Amino acid sequence: MKAYSKICNARLTPRPMTDLRLTATLLLLLCAPFGLLQAELPSPELSYLLNRLETPVTAPDFSLDDIDGEQRSLRDYRGKVIMLNFWATWCPPCRREIPSMESIYQDMGDKGFVVLGVNEFETPDHVFAYMGQLSVFPTFPILFDLDSKVSELYGVKGLPTTLLINKQGQVVYRAAGGRDFDHPEVRAIVEQLLTEGNKGNERTSFQDSAPFEK
Amino acid sequence: MKYLTRHAGTTLFILLLATAGPLPQSHAAVETVTDESSGLLSWKAQHPGFSLQFIQLLPDYVRAVYGARGLPKEVVDLMASYCIFGTIIKNESGESLGYRVADWRYITADGQSHPIKTKTQWLQEWQDMGVAFRWSLLPDDQQFAPGDWSQGFTTLPLSPGTTFKLSYQWTQQDKTHEGIFEDLQCAPDTPPDD
Repeated sequence: MKAYSKICNARLTPRPMTDLRLTATLLLLLCAPFGLLQAELPSPELSYLLNRLETPVTAPDFSLDDIDGEQRSLRDYRGKVIMLNFWATWCPPCRREIPSMESIYQDMGDKGFVVLGVNEFETPDHVFAYMGQLSVFPTFPILFDLDSKVSELYGVKGLPTTLLINKQGQVVYRAAGGRDFDHPEVRAIVEQLLTEGNKGNERTSFQDSAPFEK
Repeated sequence: MKYLTRHAGTTLFILLLATAGPLPQSHAAVETVTDESSGLLSWKAQHPGFSLQFIQLLPDYVRAVYGARGLPKEVVDLMASYCIFGTIIKNESGESLGYRVADWRYITADGQSHPIKTKTQWLQEWQDMGVAFRWSLLPDDQQFAPGDWSQGFTTLPLSPGTTFKLSYQWTQQDKTHEGIFEDLQCAPDTPPDD
């Protein structure tokens, strides 16, 4: 547990801010808190800033059921670039970033990129009904962290939180709060991570999550 | 002289306190907005690189949120008995920024200052009531990278419609800042338009 609070406390290298992001931020604050105003106002643009961890942290392995009841482990995606997104249906920014995750997954899924949506504390039935209401139905795997053990393992404090894991199994980017993952800057980061993995004889290794199975 | 020598440590400490002074008050542009459809209020403090927003939530909304999570009625009613605000914190600076709810205080009309019940305190209480849910509440403390933001509920044991002040702190570039909302108000028991 302590090892992976590193992910949330690690020193980060900021990327430059833009006026556009600030504008989007302000619009978001005005228009979409807690879904209270969502029905009445158009959805503003989300920001796209991801923060690189100065010291990458080896991702802890885990196993969770997907929406079909099939168990999936992080190690099943060994050698891929993984976007690990922690979310819940009651969280408005989580809902808003789903289409952008689906878009980037559709475009880059065949290049060795995968999105894993880790739902917190909700049942597959509830989530399936919710997904039917979305304008874009997510085709990436949705996993069910029913007891929030995996989010604890990764030191997640709030939803949504998104991590990017490179081909070597290291958490290298982090974002707290909603984002537009379909933005060219995010795509460029994913492309770079996909390329980085092709340069040498890197091996993927995830940290054993045994301590959390006791 | 003997007295001064004997009490030099205390005197020095008092002098240090006097010269240290209070935390820098960061003046914010506070915007109060009334939602046209619900009539509920929200307040947003905009500081350079940091913003904090408090949004009134009706007790029925709180009941709906926790009821939909399948929490026991006892827990749902307890939460709805609190004055709850949706709270949004954003790092709009190019630097790291952090906050701790334990540093925040609300000040009631009698001038008394009170700590805010933290998420950790709630989780302990929920655990004692057999609930494992750990979401929806504003995290106790967070360190934000540029572009990061968070939302969650802030809970106060106040009656519907109560007005109060709220003093908050955050750390930016290793410097602690303080701001204050002068006139926050708990949501009414029923929608204002009813």
